[in-house]
Amino acid sequence: MVVAAVTTNSADVPGRAEEAAPGLPGLPGHPGAPGTPGGPEQSLRPPSPRRLNRRIRLRRDRSLLLMTVPVVVLLLVFNYLPLFGTVTAFEYYDPIVGVVNSEWIGLENFRQLLGDPLFWGSVWNTLELAAVQLVLFFPVPVALALLLNSVLSPRIRSFVQSVTLIPHFFSWVLVITLFQQMIGGAGLLNQFLRQHDMTPWNIMTDPSVFKLLVTSQVIWKDAGWGIIVFLAALAAIDENLYEAAAMDGAGRWRRMWHITLPGLRGVIVLMLVLRLGNVLNVGFEQLLIQRYAVGHDAADVLDTFSYFYGIGTNNYGYGAAAGIFKSVISLLLIYGANKLAHSFGEDGLYRK
Amino acid sequence: MSDVTLKARRPSARPVWEEEPTAVGQGVKGVTLAGILVLVLGPLWCVVITSFSTQGSINRAGGLVIVPHGLTLNAYRTMLGDGPVTRALFVSLGVTVAGTVFSMVVSVLCAYGLSRSRSLGHRFLLMLLVVTMFVSGGLIPSYLVVTGLGGFDQYWALILPSAVSVFNILVLRSFYGSTAAELIDAARMDGAGDWRILWSVVLPTSRAVTAVITLFYAVGYWNSFFNVMLYMPTSSQKWPLQYVLYQYVNLGTNMPGQVNSGFGNAANATAPLSLQMAVVVLTLVPVVIAFPFVQKHFAKGVLTGAVKG
Amino acid sequence: MSSQISRRTLLRTAVTVAGAAVAAPLLSACGSGGAAKSGSNSKAGLAGALPAFVASTAVTADIPSVTGPSGGFSDPGFLTYPAAPVKTVTKTPGSGGSYSAVTPLWGTIPAADNPFYQAVNAALGVKLTMQPANGTTYNTAIPTLTAAQKLPDWVQLPTWWNALFNVGGLVGTQLADLTPYLAGDKIKEYPNLAALPTGAWQAGVWGDKLYGIPSFASGTAFAGAFFYRRDVFEAKGIAADSVKSADDLMNLGKELTNASAGVWAFDDMWTYLTQPFGIAQLFTAKDGKLVHKYEQPEYLEALNWAWKLAKSGYIHPDALAGNNNDAKARFYAGKVLVTGDGTGSWNMADAQAGQAADPKYRRGALPLFAADGTSAPSIFLGSSTSLVSYLNAKLKPEQIKELLAVANYLAAPWGSAEYTLINYGVEGVDHTRVDGTPTFTPAGQKSVQQQTYPFLVSSPQATSNPGFDQITKDRTAWEAQAVKYAYKPVFWNMNITVPSRLATAGAAQALEDTVKDVQHGLKTVADYQNALTSWKRSGGDELTAWYQSEIYDKQGSGQ
Repeated sequence: MVVAAVTTNSADVPGRAEEAAPGLPGLPGHPGAPGTPGGPEQSLRPPSPRRLNRRIRLRRDRSLLLMTVPVVVLLLVFNYLPLFGTVTAFEYYDPIVGVVNSEWIGLENFRQLLGDPLFWGSVWNTLELAAVQLVLFFPVPVALALLLNSVLSPRIRSFVQSVTLIPHFFSWVLVITLFQQMIGGAGLLNQFLRQHDMTPWNIMTDPSVFKLLVTSQVIWKDAGWGIIVFLAALAAIDENLYEAAAMDGAGRWRRMWHITLPGLRGVIVLMLVLRLGNVLNVGFEQLLIQRYAVGHDAADVLDTFSYFYGIGTNNYGYGAAAGIFKSVISLLLIYGANKLAHSFGEDGLYRK
Repeated sequence: MSDVTLKARRPSARPVWEEEPTAVGQGVKGVTLAGILVLVLGPLWCVVITSFSTQGSINRAGGLVIVPHGLTLNAYRTMLGDGPVTRALFVSLGVTVAGTVFSMVVSVLCAYGLSRSRSLGHRFLLMLLVVTMFVSGGLIPSYLVVTGLGGFDQYWALILPSAVSVFNILVLRSFYGSTAAELIDAARMDGAGDWRILWSVVLPTSRAVTAVITLFYAVGYWNSFFNVMLYMPTSSQKWPLQYVLYQYVNLGTNMPGQVNSGFGNAANATAPLSLQMAVVVLTLVPVVIAFPFVQKHFAKGVLTGAVKG
Repeated sequence: MSSQISRRTLLRTAVTVAGAAVAAPLLSACGSGGAAKSGSNSKAGLAGALPAFVASTAVTADIPSVTGPSGGFSDPGFLTYPAAPVKTVTKTPGSGGSYSAVTPLWGTIPAADNPFYQAVNAALGVKLTMQPANGTTYNTAIPTLTAAQKLPDWVQLPTWWNALFNVGGLVGTQLADLTPYLAGDKIKEYPNLAALPTGAWQAGVWGDKLYGIPSFASGTAFAGAFFYRRDVFEAKGIAADSVKSADDLMNLGKELTNASAGVWAFDDMWTYLTQPFGIAQLFTAKDGKLVHKYEQPEYLEALNWAWKLAKSGYIHPDALAGNNNDAKARFYAGKVLVTGDGTGSWNMADAQAGQAADPKYRRGALPLFAADGTSAPSIFLGSSTSLVSYLNAKLKPEQIKELLAVANYLAAPWGSAEYTLINYGVEGVDHTRVDGTPTFTPAGQKSVQQQTYPFLVSSPQATSNPGFDQITKDRTAWEAQAVKYAYKPVFWNMNITVPSRLATAGAAQALEDTVKDVQHGLKTVADYQNALTSWKRSGGDELTAWYQSEIYDKQGSGQ
């Protein structure tokens, strides 16, 4: 019943189970056809809801709006109210004098920021690291989730799942210490090399491979944690679809390609969009700890920049300016990512 | 034949329609899984063994212990032997339970409230939410707001300011947006209101994601101590477990700007590594206990059953 | 995925090590003292505010303090704990008042209102509620208290956080002026306080008034020394005093390093290279003109040497990777044989830890030397104290007097009856005498063990390691020798508040980053010189000029 209902909607590949998984975010969206109903729920609605007047829509969506009130209030109080703090970016902010009485300098902080080679160095590092992580890290949890999903024995599956979760709960200090003990200059690997008269390679202090090192640490620590969301999405795929496809003669790989991946698509896209918006957060503490190992030229990212050259030197306004720069870029990125998702016919953050 | 008995014993093992696994496939899978296990369990071994090691054993290793030379329960005795830990454990449990319930209620409501793609103002509200992920006024103003509302030394200051995770709401919403859309529509046709639909249609059909988000919130509350540090720095009676344990973890970590004062060993004493690692182990315990409950909801076919039912 | 899993995770990421540090300066922003006036105390004002000094004769040291030509004096050494501790305070100091006190504690927080606290309160005659706060996040805790106007009656504000806590702005608004009670001869009412050295009181003087009460005063407070594994050196037949120049030290590195066996000669050395190379604490004065240490030729020389050292392969790779947390473990394990460290690390706890790894473990300190091998070595004196406590401005005069009487009790000299109670608790309950040395019982370990009251006020530093007399002898002997070469640095013991517009130049972050990179061998001395030029241009010169005209020319050098 479910299959039939959706496949009637999916014009491009009729008969395929591809678009058929219910309960999957993103699926009902209809690629590239803005005017057409977005999904089954609309198809049962009175036509052209956009033209309904506000009053009627308000009456209809009253409960929905009411439901959002608690969160909206919390955000207004604890997130929006404190936004007055951002004015420090336009001040020569002296904490002792306070936000209100500090000297107003307009865009001076931004002017200085944009002319600061250290700032641009950190922007560049941030972007480079973000790109590396996007390519190397992002697919790992998805692949892991698929791998785990294919394991038949529930006991092995839950065991591996629980184990991969563990490193997420290690602090960065500990993760880096562990890496150091394994591949550091005096670690297991290099002592082995030395004892066998081979040239040791101190990976931890080599700026040229630093970004790969940092990414591998992220993978080790958080890939296992990252799979949880995908596992939830996998659990939401209707088992009957697999059975039906198998009956139709689709093999293991075809089933993964045509049922599993489409089933995950909505979540993957959502994660990707959020990831892009978060591109400028590439691990403050992790880089802070390793900053002196490879030097600030290689390790400084936007967050560590505003920490060291803003807060760390009492130049709060400067740090706040760097923060605003980051916020604006992030918002632009998530907006762009969302647009991009829409142009591929995906929902992204919200349905087009 | 054997297949049938197997299936009877473990209902979620290979279904009848699925083909026999190939030897190569199984081999590759096995090696990969074994590799992953080694990569995680190896370091975990170091951590656990170090937590049980004597100071002599640790000093001989010059860091984390790989091969144990002397084992002791001292680290755990030091931490768990005192009264404060027991009280802190209850504080932690209280904050975690209350916080998670509160967060889940507001998040689920909000996520469902925003899940209807044509509802009034949902796009504006979404923007309102998303912006807070990237824009922040900073610590000072947040601190001033919370203390201005009388949050100093209050338990609610540990919950309310961080009760909403927009990320979690977005994930929930993305699942609700289409989960059992059929059933929702059917229910609406039957004249059910949104509250009723949420309660008796959406929630029962999205147990996996509910479990996951509950886990996210609970872990967040359990591990958080930043707010404690800000809002109840000297009321040691009220501290939750993580903050009490935190004293051991970063003991001796030099803060930027802290000069070596030479007034004795107090400030530069390094916490025994065994204590630090015992804290890590203790942090893992509740997760290891709680995770199977979450995992239960990932079992294949959970949703199918519900939808069909 | 991690970094996006939830906002809370993000927040948490920024917590552990750095989080506290991030939070602290930001929060000091809401610190609602007055704006601190920049500058320093005037000479006359300082003299008028300082208390008189009357030495205590209650306890005689086994190894007496040695005074050097600069006036610096080594800490006295004590070998045996007095069998019958002498009483220095005859009547109960308090009269039943109720007070709260907040101090930093680097260790386990004992249970509130435990038997030890009760015993001390009974002896003090007040109800003093101790609220020790986590030392590692203390820099965040205090700003939250000042911001919320919730400072306790008595609070410890370590001097290395003076700027962060805005102590210069808190005095007079949130912290009480003690000048009327302690200045000049008035302190003689409190004999144990009068026995605290004058230099230490200086750390509590702001705006020509006395506010702070010092703990752990010391007449030397050297930044640190190069420590070596004396047991290993002796086994190899290396004499520590054979190191007479920077070249000798480099050669020593070659001799000691055996990388394939996992042994390196050195840990992080930079901080303590200031001594052999003669780098100033902050400024040197030549013919009445200030020269910042960054511009000293000696600084460049030291940096160049440090760069060579980094490239030499004699430094443990983990130290080069910036991992300082395990530095002590590396030293104990014998993976590193020479390390720079604070003098505070030379004590019995260190010996116990080291001997747990290797029973032969013995720490030694290299005698002072000059880098060139020919000039006389020199070392600057540190500030006389780095721990100062303050009373709340809301207290009434009688209350302040009561707390000062309590302070007088807490400041009782080493080995006195009062000292024994404060540091070891009640005999028979919290400690017993083992071979004459007070040793904690399990009950005492829980409630006393940690330093609480001494962070409010304490008698001056004394070197004493019961059961480890060798350490006491070694350390006092090293100090007695070092104090001969000690000098008072420019602006010694002066509380200086730098105007906030110069704070960025004062922190010199970009320059310090380059210095770190050079000492790790990632950048060259030429890079340093470039960074120096841009530092001078972007505020460094202005900073020096401010110190010259506002402090040096007006208030002198403090030497």
